[in-house]
Amino acid sequence: MRSLLTLWSLAFFAFIYAPLAVIVAYSFNANPVNMMIWDGFTLDWYRGLFGAAVERPASDALYIENTDQLLAALRTSLTVAFFTTTIATVLGTSLAIALGRGRFVGQKALGGFLLLPMMMPDIVLGIGLLIFFLTLGMQLSLLTIIIGHCTFLISYVFVIVQARLAGLDPALEEASADLGASPFVTLRKVLIPQLAPGILGGALLAFVISMDDLVITYFIAGTDNTTLPVFIFGMIRRGVKPEINAIATLIILSSVVIAGLGLWLRARKTPA
Amino acid sequence: MRQSTFLAALLAPATLFLGVFFLGPLLIIAVFSLLTPGLYGGVEWSFYHQNYGRIFGWADGIMEIYEPVYLQILLRSLGFAALTVGLCLVICYPVAFWVARLPPRARLFCLFLVTLPFFSSLIVRLYAWLLILKPSGLLNQTLLATGLIQTPLEILYTQSAVVLGLVYVMVPFMFLPLYSAIDNLDRSMVEASMDLGANRVQTFTKVVLPQTLPGIIGGAVIVFIPSVGNFIVPDVLGGAKGLMVGNLVEQQFLSARNWPFGAALAMIVMGVVLATLLYASARARSAAHA
Repeated sequence: MRSLLTLWSLAFFAFIYAPLAVIVAYSFNANPVNMMIWDGFTLDWYRGLFGAAVERPASDALYIENTDQLLAALRTSLTVAFFTTTIATVLGTSLAIALGRGRFVGQKALGGFLLLPMMMPDIVLGIGLLIFFLTLGMQLSLLTIIIGHCTFLISYVFVIVQARLAGLDPALEEASADLGASPFVTLRKVLIPQLAPGILGGALLAFVISMDDLVITYFIAGTDNTTLPVFIFGMIRRGVKPEINAIATLIILSSVVIAGLGLWLRARKTPA
Repeated sequence: MRQSTFLAALLAPATLFLGVFFLGPLLIIAVFSLLTPGLYGGVEWSFYHQNYGRIFGWADGIMEIYEPVYLQILLRSLGFAALTVGLCLVICYPVAFWVARLPPRARLFCLFLVTLPFFSSLIVRLYAWLLILKPSGLLNQTLLATGLIQTPLEILYTQSAVVLGLVYVMVPFMFLPLYSAIDNLDRSMVEASMDLGANRVQTFTKVVLPQTLPGIIGGAVIVFIPSVGNFIVPDVLGGAKGLMVGNLVEQQFLSARNWPFGAALAMIVMGVVLATLLYASARARSAAHA
């Protein structure tokens, strides 16, 4: 019974990680035509990504728009994620503080409402934003992508900061107020430093989700801006080429690093 | 600065932002779903109920034709989502038990392993299944090489591939709430049940299952909702046979250019989601009172 359970669990982790391992392994496959048939080890696809000329079948000559477009997509993703993270973190944190420390009418309803953006299917939000922007006559641009991402990421930051706030002792803030500090000074000198790990965690999550968002971006990116996930989605739809394995491997690698960083931060904030 | 001005300064920007850019789009979907589709895309601003009629069967048959296929795809999406919930539950429940009994450090490491895929790209993880399930993919290569099959299996672009993809993407979301419920399980109750002569099955159904029910419901809701409206998984792995309502919505907006009809379909997805949430929160409330 016990060993059966162990076996099942190991199979579970294999199920989660085997597909990722397949990508990493085949990103070194030299076969340019059928990338699933092993034909020796190569680093060509990685070299190609970083701008080196790679020999490939003539039929693919038109296809090599990769490097520049890929880097442009990566740049767009990073720009969007940077601004989204900043805005969502500020707004989400201020909501968490207002709901956690203030008393006002409709407080409970607002708290419930703030969970809705996380639960709304992204396709509904995506097309909603698309019609909304076009009806208002807004040009689809980086700005619309950033707004779109913020609509749901504010809630993620809110939830994480709120959890941190719930664990804090309000006595410190009361003491600060009693000693004559204004609400703003109390916020800056007492509350924010205590909330910092939560804020950082929320920001990290917002950054990761923004970098990975495909569906909402797909609808509101317009034609001039492509983020990395949308770019990869397009590559997959056109038919896959070996470079994509190398790109995917690099993405997996960077996500491991980011997740590791996040966990390290979390371990640091709760010295147990 | 007075306390109330301070509070307003904290609240106003975010609520204003969400009021405009979150509620605005949802409202405009509701409005568009009741407008007349324009002849060349876009809309005419007049009331029209046959966008829903096309789906549920009261279309006039002249301007709009009722096609049972829309309802079929809608039901299929619900079915796929329910199946995904069931499979995720069956897969995760034993694993959550196993992890909960590991020593603390190993437990943390396992939780890290389950959460890690969440940090890596969704599209990359789906793409991996494309490589595995292709006719010339890894699965068929392995099965052919071991002689288990003689001709390659057709898995990619079937309904099974869609459900497999959904399960793969959603499984961490089921695991975490289940794990926290199982971790909080009162072990002494289990021991008491065994001591009092209940067998394993009885102990499971009478003690373990009721205590972990909140985790099961939580996981089910978190998995069900994104599965119903998913369009990336069926797009990458499903082909024509695995079409889900999300693909229909996408088509109406990006190729068919019938926005009101797409908006009506999106309204139905939104309705399903809200109904699920209301049901779950009613369950949670009655559980809290019991």
